[in-house]
Amino acid sequence: MDAGKSGALRKGLLEFVVLAVVSSGRAYAADILQRLGDTEFATREGTLYPLLSRMRRERLLDYEWQESDSGPPRKYYRLTPNGRRQLAAFRTYWKSLTRLIDELGTPPCKP
Amino acid sequence: MQTVIHVGLSGHATAFLLDEDGYGSLRRYFERARAGLARDPDRDEILRDLEQSIGEKLAVLPHAGGQVLAGREVDSVLAQVGTVDPGNGNGQARHAPSMRPRRFCRIEQGQWISGVCAGLAMRSGLRVGWVRAIFVLAAIFTSGLMVLAYLALVLALPVLQTRDEYEDMCRLSP
Repeated sequence: MDAGKSGALRKGLLEFVVLAVVSSGRAYAADILQRLGDTEFATREGTLYPLLSRMRRERLLDYEWQESDSGPPRKYYRLTPNGRRQLAAFRTYWKSLTRLIDELGTPPCKP
Repeated sequence: MQTVIHVGLSGHATAFLLDEDGYGSLRRYFERARAGLARDPDRDEILRDLEQSIGEKLAVLPHAGGQVLAGREVDSVLAQVGTVDPGNGNGQARHAPSMRPRRFCRIEQGQWISGVCAGLAMRSGLRVGWVRAIFVLAAIFTSGLMVLAYLALVLALPVLQTRDEYEDMCRLSP
């Protein structure tokens, strides 16, 4: 697939991918980056921090500070109930999209 | 003699020792980040997060303890962190109004004949009086050829009612 087109698609999906990663439990920014590191959605702090901060403003995520053994305290992110609803809605929407695309690709039933 | 600059980064108790190149790279990175996030309401918090991450990466460099970090080492850490992408963080930035190419139209508001001059005045930013004067002079000097050109424009140009409509079209059209 054309790298530019798939890049734009990935960029739009990143927010939902981050929701999915954080949904599995509390996550520190480095955990999120590491989890995405060897996937299609590998990203870096320069992109992730502005995104996390917008998602927090939209009340999809919340964070709490926690001391770290090796260095300064860290922000641990988790989903808010609103974030959970958003993720569930996105998963349903994504399934309906893939089903639609599959259906559009197959020829209509012959009589 | 080597210049050493002590740099404090958010969240890190001990200062980092950088040479001039390293300090320059770090300063430029944050200047760009600050400018990129200018519209972001959480700009300062994001900058602190970035400082903290950069500090964590600098701290685990092989000889970070007490030794001076060179420009290329700072650059490699900054490359890992990546340029700040405000588009993902800030919905406004994606919809920021940008200058659209302006189009030729006839505008009926304030027209004398058909609004061709009013439209050209909006398009060019000249006062409509000047545009009309140029048309009249051109019509005289081209012994009427300009009148034909004017009629062609009347037929060719799309029509808008008001100057506001023209501004809206420039703002909204892709």
